[in-house]
Amino acid sequence: MLGNLLNPDLFASALRLATPIALAAIGGTICERSGVVNIALEGIMLVGAFCGVAVTLLAQASSVAFIAQNATWIGLVAAVISGVLFSGIHAFGAITLRMDHVVSGTALNIMALGLTGFVLTILNGFTTGRNTAGASTAVRHMLNPVFDFATQRSGNFLQTVWYWIDGVFLSLTPIAYIAIIVAVVMHWALYRTRWGLRLRALGEHPKAADSVGVRVIASRYAAVLISGALGGLAGANLSLEQVGSFSENMTTGRGFIALAANIFGRWTPIGSYLASLLFGFAQALQLRVQGVEFLAKIPVQFFLMFPYVLTVIVLAGFMGRAVGPAAVGKAYEKE
Amino acid sequence: MSETHEHIVVEAWWAKALRIAAVPLVSVLLAMAIGSVIIWLSGFDPIAAFRALFQGALGGQRQISETIIRATPLIFTGLAVGFGFRASLFNIGAEGQFIMGSLGAAWLGLLLAGLPTPVAIPLILIGAALFGAAWAFIPALLKAKVGAHEVITTMMFSWIGLYLSSWIVSGPLKEPGSIPQTTMLSSNVWLPSFDRLIPGLIPVRAHLGFVVAVLLAIVVLLVLRRTTLGYSVRAVGLNPGAAENAGISIARTTVYALCISGALAGLAGASEVLGTNHRMFDQVSAGSGFGFTGIAVALLAKNHPIGVIFAALLFGILQAGAGTMQLETGISVLIVQIIQGLVIFFVAAETIVTWFVKRRQKLKLEREEAVDAG
Repeated sequence: MLGNLLNPDLFASALRLATPIALAAIGGTICERSGVVNIALEGIMLVGAFCGVAVTLLAQASSVAFIAQNATWIGLVAAVISGVLFSGIHAFGAITLRMDHVVSGTALNIMALGLTGFVLTILNGFTTGRNTAGASTAVRHMLNPVFDFATQRSGNFLQTVWYWIDGVFLSLTPIAYIAIIVAVVMHWALYRTRWGLRLRALGEHPKAADSVGVRVIASRYAAVLISGALGGLAGANLSLEQVGSFSENMTTGRGFIALAANIFGRWTPIGSYLASLLFGFAQALQLRVQGVEFLAKIPVQFFLMFPYVLTVIVLAGFMGRAVGPAAVGKAYEKE
Repeated sequence: MSETHEHIVVEAWWAKALRIAAVPLVSVLLAMAIGSVIIWLSGFDPIAAFRALFQGALGGQRQISETIIRATPLIFTGLAVGFGFRASLFNIGAEGQFIMGSLGAAWLGLLLAGLPTPVAIPLILIGAALFGAAWAFIPALLKAKVGAHEVITTMMFSWIGLYLSSWIVSGPLKEPGSIPQTTMLSSNVWLPSFDRLIPGLIPVRAHLGFVVAVLLAIVVLLVLRRTTLGYSVRAVGLNPGAAENAGISIARTTVYALCISGALAGLAGASEVLGTNHRMFDQVSAGSGFGFTGIAVALLAKNHPIGVIFAALLFGILQAGAGTMQLETGISVLIVQIIQGLVIFFVAAETIVTWFVKRRQKLKLEREEAVDAG
């Protein structure tokens, strides 16, 4: 029954759909571990998605050949920078002004929705090709000869393996690969480096961290800005890779699913990624239910609800305790 | 000394009100000023824009009615979020409770259509309030029992409610046809519009829900000021440790406060269904944002129930006038959203002012130290 559903495309699709959620979720993890709540991720993603497309279009129109040819990559960098700048407002509000973190985040989400939509109406008619997608085909071409021997005889076991690897992993866009790398590197950094140890200490007991010489304010700023960069990257993935254009409110709640993924992943980068993958898989399944009778009977809305229901169950303690950093959301004032 | 003492004693009520309202007023003006700069930078005339906006919101009976229509649900959701804030609970999921209240009203409205109006409407309102409270109950329980933060849980419930209602509106309660919406309610469960209540008025859409909202604001004020529950809520909000020492159960107060907040948000949904739309639409495509704007309203009002009425009217003016502004000047209605976000930021960043003061004091101190050292 599930046979015609279980193909490489389903898993590739899950990886694709997980990418923006995972990047934002890992951003949320880093931010919350430092003691700052970041519910502005939705807005940061939206700004990143917008700036990515806007700068790509500008660069495409440039008369300098190098800029015009690499327009999408320049757009990607712009998305990251815009995410950093926008999250800087949150850092300033939450850390320096000691605003309520949730209030600051809410304000930024509303502002991001308004700003991107407002500028969009001014720059009407606003699309770009999905140029970064080209890079992954280059990778595939590079790897193809390696597996050539496998594809020569049909029905071969190796051929099946290659079929799956090719279908699942080699059809992704660059940022999807970056997201996997980010998850692993951030996880390593959080648990195996001095920076990570200090960051975790900040979220649990900032006073203790301060007393051993950690610069609380500066480190928290850094964490918020990193989450902004990842949020911007998530936005770029949406607009430059998945859709190829920007439309009003195109993030449609992914920033909030990312918050859920962060919790479901127990405030760890790899956990966040895997949780996003689970949510992405549910979404991919939902897009393909038409072919499968017993799944098609489930209303679409129940698939969409899935991440949130799971997160509530986790928070309720039915799947082990889920406790965030102790000092998260509290302003720090040096005595 | 005696002069300042005297000054405090004779401070008139309006002077006190002005002192309290100073930060919100400055925030709104600042947000509108930045909005004007954005309008100007995009090549439009900000003065013409705001003239069109206010003309569109207050220029006549019909315009004022539209402003009231926008403000009515915002009073309810503003009261909801504000009540939560009083117990230091951040009910960011008021949107979800609003949706569940709408759903309750749409369902009960169909169910109780046969009853006479004076019986049906109060029953539906109570039912919708219970729907909203129920949607806040699990987050409240999780907060009280396992300490799960209400910001996350109410937000998750908000999305669950959104998709649940979307399914119900496009499934079990769907009106036959292609549009996902519930069947139009029979007119005897509509909240009557003002032209039916006041003879001589032109036909308007503004309805009794506004009066209910204003009365409810007064009730909430009295509950906070005059009842044991209100006292507990305020005590837990101000100092949970001291409240617990005084014998107030934090867990119980948390559950009550969040459920009441949910009930108030649910009433906003009922007012929209019974008064404005007379049916429920699919909120996924026609999301209201009333819950989120309720946060802005509560913050602007500094959680004061009477302040909520004025804050809601202000946002009502901005939203009702934005359409006219777009029509007449070509500026996108989204400018209102930007202003709304800025208002939240500025009101909450009251500390911007104190921060600058502190910084100046610090600089002065450093300068003096430098002088001393030199």
